[in-house]
Amino acid sequence: MNRLTKLPTLRIDPSENRSLQYKGQTYQGVAGDTVATALYANGVRVFARSLKYHRPRGLYSLDGECSNTCMQVDDIPNVRTENTLLKNGMQVKDQNVKGSAEFDWMGFMDKLDCLMPAGFYYRTMHKPASLWPIAMKQVRNAAGLGKIAPDFRMKGDYTEIYPRAAVCVIGGGAAGMTAALAAAESGLRVVLLDARPWLGGCFDYRVSAYDQEKALYQRARELAKAVEATPNIRVFKHTAVVGVYNNNLITAFQVGGESDSFNERYLEIRATSVVVATGCIERPLLFENNERPGIMQVGCAHRLARTYGLLPGNQAVFSIGHDLGLEAAADLFDLGLQIACVADIRADGQDPQLLLALTKRNIPFLRGWVACEAHGSRQVEKVTLSTIDGSAKRQFGCDLLVASAGLTPITGPLTLAQAKLKYDMHTGYFLPVDLPAKTHIAGRLTGLQHALAIEASGRLAGLNAAADCGFDTAKSAAEAGQQLNALPGPERGTRLVSAPVKGRKSFICFDEDTTLKNIKQAIEMGFDVPELIKRFTSAGTGPGQGGIPGHNLPLLVSEYQARTGAKPIPTTVRPPLVPTFIATYAGANHDMCKRTPLHDLQKKAGGVFRRMGVWRRARYFSEDFSCREEILNVRNNVGLLDASTLGKFRIHGPDALKALQRVYVSNMAKVAEGRVKYSAMCNDDGCVIDDGVVVKLAENDYYFTTSTGRAGETVEWIRFHTRYDGWDFHLVNLTDAMGVINISGPNACKVLAKVADTDLANEAFPFSSYREFTIRKKIPVRAMRLGFVGELSYELHADASYMPALWQIIEEAGQEFGIRNFGVEAQNVLRLEKCHIILGQESEQRTNLLDLGLGFLWHRNKPDAKTVGAVALRQTEKDPGRFRLVGFKMEDPQRPPRDGSIIVDQRIRGYVCTARKSFTLNESVGLALVDAELAALGTRLEIFEDECNGKRLDARIVPMPFYDPQGERMKM
Amino acid sequence: MALTISCPNCGKRNGYEFRYGGEDKGPRPAEEGLTPQSWCDYVHMNNCVAGIQKEWWCHKNGCGAWFTIFRNTLTNLEVEEPEAKL
Amino acid sequence: MFGRFKPLWGKKPQLKSSYDAVIIGGGLHGLATAYFLAKEHGMNNIAILEKRYIGFGGAGRNTAIVRANQRTQENVPLYKEALDLWPILTKELDYNLMFNNCGNLNLMHSEAAMNTARMNVCTAQFHGIKSHLLDAKQLKELEPAINISPDITYPIHGAMFHPPGGVVRHDAVVWGLAKGAARYGVHIHQQTEATAIHTKNGKITGVDTNRGRIHTPRVLVSAGGYSAGMINKMLGIRLPISVLTIQAMVTQPLKPVLNHVVSSGMYHAYANQTLKGEIATGAHMDPWPNYTTLTTAHYIKHQAEALSDFLPFLRGVKFMRTWAGLADMTPDMAPIIDGNDPIDGFYMNCGWGYFGFKSCTATGRYLAKFMAGGQCPDMLKPFTLRRYEKHRLMGETAALVSYSADN
Repeated sequence: MNRLTKLPTLRIDPSENRSLQYKGQTYQGVAGDTVATALYANGVRVFARSLKYHRPRGLYSLDGECSNTCMQVDDIPNVRTENTLLKNGMQVKDQNVKGSAEFDWMGFMDKLDCLMPAGFYYRTMHKPASLWPIAMKQVRNAAGLGKIAPDFRMKGDYTEIYPRAAVCVIGGGAAGMTAALAAAESGLRVVLLDARPWLGGCFDYRVSAYDQEKALYQRARELAKAVEATPNIRVFKHTAVVGVYNNNLITAFQVGGESDSFNERYLEIRATSVVVATGCIERPLLFENNERPGIMQVGCAHRLARTYGLLPGNQAVFSIGHDLGLEAAADLFDLGLQIACVADIRADGQDPQLLLALTKRNIPFLRGWVACEAHGSRQVEKVTLSTIDGSAKRQFGCDLLVASAGLTPITGPLTLAQAKLKYDMHTGYFLPVDLPAKTHIAGRLTGLQHALAIEASGRLAGLNAAADCGFDTAKSAAEAGQQLNALPGPERGTRLVSAPVKGRKSFICFDEDTTLKNIKQAIEMGFDVPELIKRFTSAGTGPGQGGIPGHNLPLLVSEYQARTGAKPIPTTVRPPLVPTFIATYAGANHDMCKRTPLHDLQKKAGGVFRRMGVWRRARYFSEDFSCREEILNVRNNVGLLDASTLGKFRIHGPDALKALQRVYVSNMAKVAEGRVKYSAMCNDDGCVIDDGVVVKLAENDYYFTTSTGRAGETVEWIRFHTRYDGWDFHLVNLTDAMGVINISGPNACKVLAKVADTDLANEAFPFSSYREFTIRKKIPVRAMRLGFVGELSYELHADASYMPALWQIIEEAGQEFGIRNFGVEAQNVLRLEKCHIILGQESEQRTNLLDLGLGFLWHRNKPDAKTVGAVALRQTEKDPGRFRLVGFKMEDPQRPPRDGSIIVDQRIRGYVCTARKSFTLNESVGLALVDAELAALGTRLEIFEDECNGKRLDARIVPMPFYDPQGERMKM
Repeated sequence: MALTISCPNCGKRNGYEFRYGGEDKGPRPAEEGLTPQSWCDYVHMNNCVAGIQKEWWCHKNGCGAWFTIFRNTLTNLEVEEPEAKL
Repeated sequence: MFGRFKPLWGKKPQLKSSYDAVIIGGGLHGLATAYFLAKEHGMNNIAILEKRYIGFGGAGRNTAIVRANQRTQENVPLYKEALDLWPILTKELDYNLMFNNCGNLNLMHSEAAMNTARMNVCTAQFHGIKSHLLDAKQLKELEPAINISPDITYPIHGAMFHPPGGVVRHDAVVWGLAKGAARYGVHIHQQTEATAIHTKNGKITGVDTNRGRIHTPRVLVSAGGYSAGMINKMLGIRLPISVLTIQAMVTQPLKPVLNHVVSSGMYHAYANQTLKGEIATGAHMDPWPNYTTLTTAHYIKHQAEALSDFLPFLRGVKFMRTWAGLADMTPDMAPIIDGNDPIDGFYMNCGWGYFGFKSCTATGRYLAKFMAGGQCPDMLKPFTLRRYEKHRLMGETAALVSYSADN
C-alpha cells in the first residue's frame, strides 16, 4: 500500500524500515508503526477470530479497547497489536484460529448462535452427568484466546519507580498540557502522563483550524514544546494509568522505547492533587455485523491516515453521530478517500461549517440515518442504511464503514477514585457528580469540544490543583473561570445505541461475542441490574473489559426498562484500567531476607540453607538429612551452632520490671542477678506465643531472648499490652545487632576455657547462670549456661561485627577436640531427646501453657500485674477436655512416624508433633499433642500415617525427657 | 484503596507501615470478678462498626509507637475525632 | 431448544406481612438454607431479604475453589459433604454448576511445612478423602508450569495434592439455588433491606424492612461480611469477628495451560484457570477492618511478584481485572454457626472469612435442619459461639493469626 508520506501530522518515519514475520512471510513497516498498522499497510484486514463464534475481526479503534487485534507476538499471547510499537524482527501469529485468521475452520460456529443464548452453558451439558467432563474439556479448549507455553520465560527488563508529585495530570492532550503548565507556574513538581507515545491528544492528528494562524495539530505541538521546556514538569509518554486509589495514589506503566533501558516500567505516584484530563473515546454503534473487518471508528480511520499515513480504504460509508465524524469525512476525502454517503444519527445540531464542507465536496449527507446492517463475509462489501425508526432503507457498496454512535468520556480514573457518576441528559455522558478530595477534571471528558474551552478548562484545573498544594491561585483561577464561562460549554450528545435491528448479530461486546439479543434474553430471565447482566452474559469481562460495552450496556438496559423509569446506572470499572503484564507489576521483585553474621562461614562449612521466617539458616551440614554425625558429635564431643536468629532485647527504665511482669507468666521480680530465668509469654487465651530466657543486668535493666519467629513482634507486643499504663521504659531490639553462638557437648568447657578470659569452673559459672567476660582479651561476650540440647552448653552473645572472628577463634580452639558445626535439624533431634519444646512445632494456635506441661512457669499470685494470659489459664486449668503434650516411644525402635501423622482410635485423638529415630537412645521417640484422657503414662497410641493403607503404627506414652532424665549432663 | 495513617511522631504515612491493633476497648479490666463471658467480651468481641471508630495502631515500620486514631470503615479514610454526642 | 425465556427465580413476589422464617442475606448460605428448608422440611413460607441483588457479596467475589482438606475433624466432614453435593445439586437444580474437579495443589516450601500439611493429609485419608503429599519432582510432573528451582524466594519442597477438589462456577450456584428455592415457593426479595429485628421475652417476633414489617418466629442472619455489624446493631450481640477486605484478580484468557488449583500459603497466593481460560488468582487480605471492597496497589504488585516466582510463565500474561470482597475473620478461622442462644428463634451463620463458598451447600442443609427442628445437628455443634469463652479455639489454623491484635 502506498503511504501518505508527506503529511505534517505523521508520527511515523517513512524513511526508516522495520520488518516483522507473519505467516512465514516478512512484512515491511516503518519506524513509528504499530504492529497492526504495519500489517494494515500490507493489506491485512482480518487480525483475529472472536472467542465464541470465530467471527473475523479487524482494526476498530487503534486504542486497544477490545481484543480485535490481539495477536501472539514473540510467543506472548493477547498482545494488542494496534498499540504495540513495531520492533524489527517481531514474530507475529494469529490467535484462536484453526487455520488462519483469514480462513478459520471454526468459522461455522457463527451459524450456531441460536444454540448459544445468554448463559447457555448454565443450562446445558450437564445431562446426563457423564457428558459434563467431556464437554468441559471441549469448553476449555474452545475458550481462551492466546496460547502460552508452561515453560515460557519473559525476556527483557521490567523495572519500577516511585515518583512523588505535587500535581499529577492524567492525559497529555490540550487540556492536560495546559493544566500541567498552569500548575507548574507555582513552581510545583508536576507529573504528566499520557498513554500514547506522544503528547497531543485529539488535537494531534487534526488539521482543522485552532485559530486564524494555526491548525489544531500545530497547537498541540506548540503546547508539547512548552511542556517539555518546563523543568518542573516531568513527562511520561507511552504511560497508561492503571490504578487510582484514595489519597491520590496513582499507578501506571510506561512502555520503553527503542532507546530505553527497560521494556516496561511500573510507576507508583503519590500526588497531592490530581487532574484528570483523559478525554473521550467513541461510543460504538450497534447494528447487524457491526464488527466486520472494514468497519472502524472515526478516530481510527482518521488517525490511520493522518498519523500513520494509511488511507483506510477506497470507498467509504460513514455512519456517525458526532461532528468529529463530519470533520474526518471531509479531511479523508481530501486525502483521496471516496465517500459514498455520510449518515448522521442526529436530526440536527451539526456544525454548519462542516456541513458546508461536505456539500462543497459533493459528499451525500443523510440526517437521522444510521447503518443497520453490514454485508460481506470476511470484510465489509456493502452497507444498508436506514432511518432511525427503520421506515426507509438504502444500500451502498463500500470497503470501509466508519461507524460511531457518539463520544463517551474516559472516566475510569475517576471511578477508581470513588467519584460518583451520574447520567447527564445533555451530553449523554456519565459525569462525576462529586469529585474526591483534591481531584479535578478538565477537557473533553467534561463535554467540551471547543478547542479554546478545552484549554481554558485545563488551565482552571491546573490552578485549582496548585491551590490544593497550598498556593494562592484564587485570582488567576477566577480569571480562568471567567474565560471558560465565556466560551462554548459542553455540547449536546447522542443517546442512540443501536440501529433498528433485532440484534442477533449486533455485538455490544466484541471480546465475549455478546449480542443485543443476549442482553434482552438476560433481562427476560430476571437479570435486571447492569452488573448482573454483565456477569450472566460476560459482556465487558473480556480482555478489553468495559472499553466497548461499558457505556452502551447501561443505556440499553435503561432503554429496555423504560417503563420502570430506570436511569442508566454505570457499570463497575476495576483496575487495571489497561491490562498489564504480570512482569511489569512485579518489577524488580526483590527477595528480602536476612542472613546471620555467620552466614558466609556456615556456607563455606557446607551448610545446607533453608528459609525460616525472615532468615536463611543452615539446617544441615551434610547430605545426610538424618544428621547422625552432627548429633553424635554433640552428644559425645562438642558442636557449634549459629543461633544468631534468636530474638534479643534489652528493656530498661523505671517501669521495666512492671512491663515484664505484664507479659511473662513467671514472677520476674525473682530473677536474680547472674542467673538465667526461663519463662514464657501467653496471649489472652492463655496460649503460648513465645518462650525464652531473661537475665537481670541491673535494677530495672534486663536482657531477654525470644524465639526466632517472634523477634519481629516482641516490641509491639509489649508496648501493646502496656499501652494504657503510661509506664516509663525503653525497649531495644538487639536481634540484628548481636549474634549468638552455641557451644554444646561434653568438651564444650574445655574448648571455651582455651579462649575465655574467665574462670569456667562449675562453681564459678554454674548451670543456668549468666556471666560477662571477654574472649582473647578482645571480644566482649554475654554468656549463658543453658541446656537446650541437653549437654554442657554455653550460649555466647556478642556484637554482630565480632561474630565471624569469635566463631573462628572457637573453631580453631576446638580443632584438637574435633569440634564441628551442627545445624537446626540436629538441634531439633537433640532437644527432642530432652523433650524441650519448640513453639510452633509442639504447639499450635490453641495450645496453652498448661497443655504443654509448662504450668510450673506460671506464677498465679500477681493479679495486680494483670499478666497477659493469666485469666484464661485460671479459667481453663480445670478443663479436662483439652490437649496435652506427651512423649512416646515407638514399639518398633527403627520406625519413627513422620511428623504430622495423626493419633486415632475411632476418631482423631491428637497428632505427632515431632518424632525421630534417636541415635543416642537407639529408639524411635516423639512428642505428641493428644486428648488429655489419653495422656496417662503407659497409654498405647495408634498412629495413622499418610499412605498407611489402614496399617497403624504402635507407640506407648513414656516419661519425659527421654535422654538424661536427671539433667546431669547439662550440669557437669 | 491506599490507606494513610497519621502517626503522632512521624506524621502521615503509608498504611502498610502500620499494624492495626483493634478497636479501642479501654484498659485491661481488674482480674477479680471476671467471668469467662466478660473476659471473652474484652478479649475477642468487636463492635464491627460500619462508620467511624476509635482504634489502635502501631507504627511498626517506623517509630514503634502505639496510638489511637479515628477511621471511617466505610471509606477507609482517617477522620477527625467526631464531636462528642450530648 | 430453549423456548421462551422466563425469569429464573420467578416473578418478583409481594412482600408478605408474615413468614415462617426470614433469612437476611441473599448469598450462598442464605439461599442454600432456604432451598433445603423448603425442599427437605416442607417450610416454603420463607423470605430471603437481600439489600442489593443476590450474589452481590462474597458469593460473587470468591474465586470458586472447593476442597475438603481442612485441618480438623470438626471441619473435614462438613466440607466433604459439600464436595459430594455439587454433582447432586447440578442434577437436582437442573442447572450446570460447572464443577471442575481438577484437584488442588497446596505448595509447601520447607520440610516443616510438609509436616504441617501431613496432618491435613492424614485427617483427609482417615475420613476416606483423597489427599497426598508429593515431592517437588512429582509435583512438576503433575503441573509442569510450576517452578521448582531453588533460586526463588520460597523454594518449593513439595505439595499437598487433593484430587477431588477443584472449582465450581460460583455465580451458577447462586442462580441455581435461587431457581431451586423459588421453585419451592421461597420468596426472594432483592433490593430489600432489613432494618431491625424484633424480640419479645427472649424470642424473635419480627423483622423490619425498608418495605415494611414482617412477623416471623425465626430469623437467620447470613449476611456474610455484613453479619457481625448487623447483629451487634440490631440485637446487641457482639461477635469475635474482624471484617477485612480480600482481593482477587484474573488475567486475560488463555488456552488451557494450568490444570490444577495451585496455592501457596507462604506466597499468600492461589491460582487456577477458569473454564473461560483466565487465570484467577488472589488471597491477600488487608489487615485492617473495613467495608469498602476496594482493591490496593500494594496487593496487585505483591501478587505479580509471587506469581513471577512460582508460576513464572505468567510474567508474559496480563492482569485484566481485580476486585475485593469482605472476609469476616474469626480468631480461629472457623465459622460461627449458632441458634436459639441467647434469643429463641435467632440463628446466625457467619465468620466464614474467605472460605464460605466451599461448604455453603452442606452448611445450608444442616442449618435448615436446625431451624426446622430447633435442635442443633451434631455436625454444627462445634461451631458454637461459646467456644471462645471456653478458650476452645477450633484448630483450623496452626499458626497465630495476624489480623487479631491479640497475637
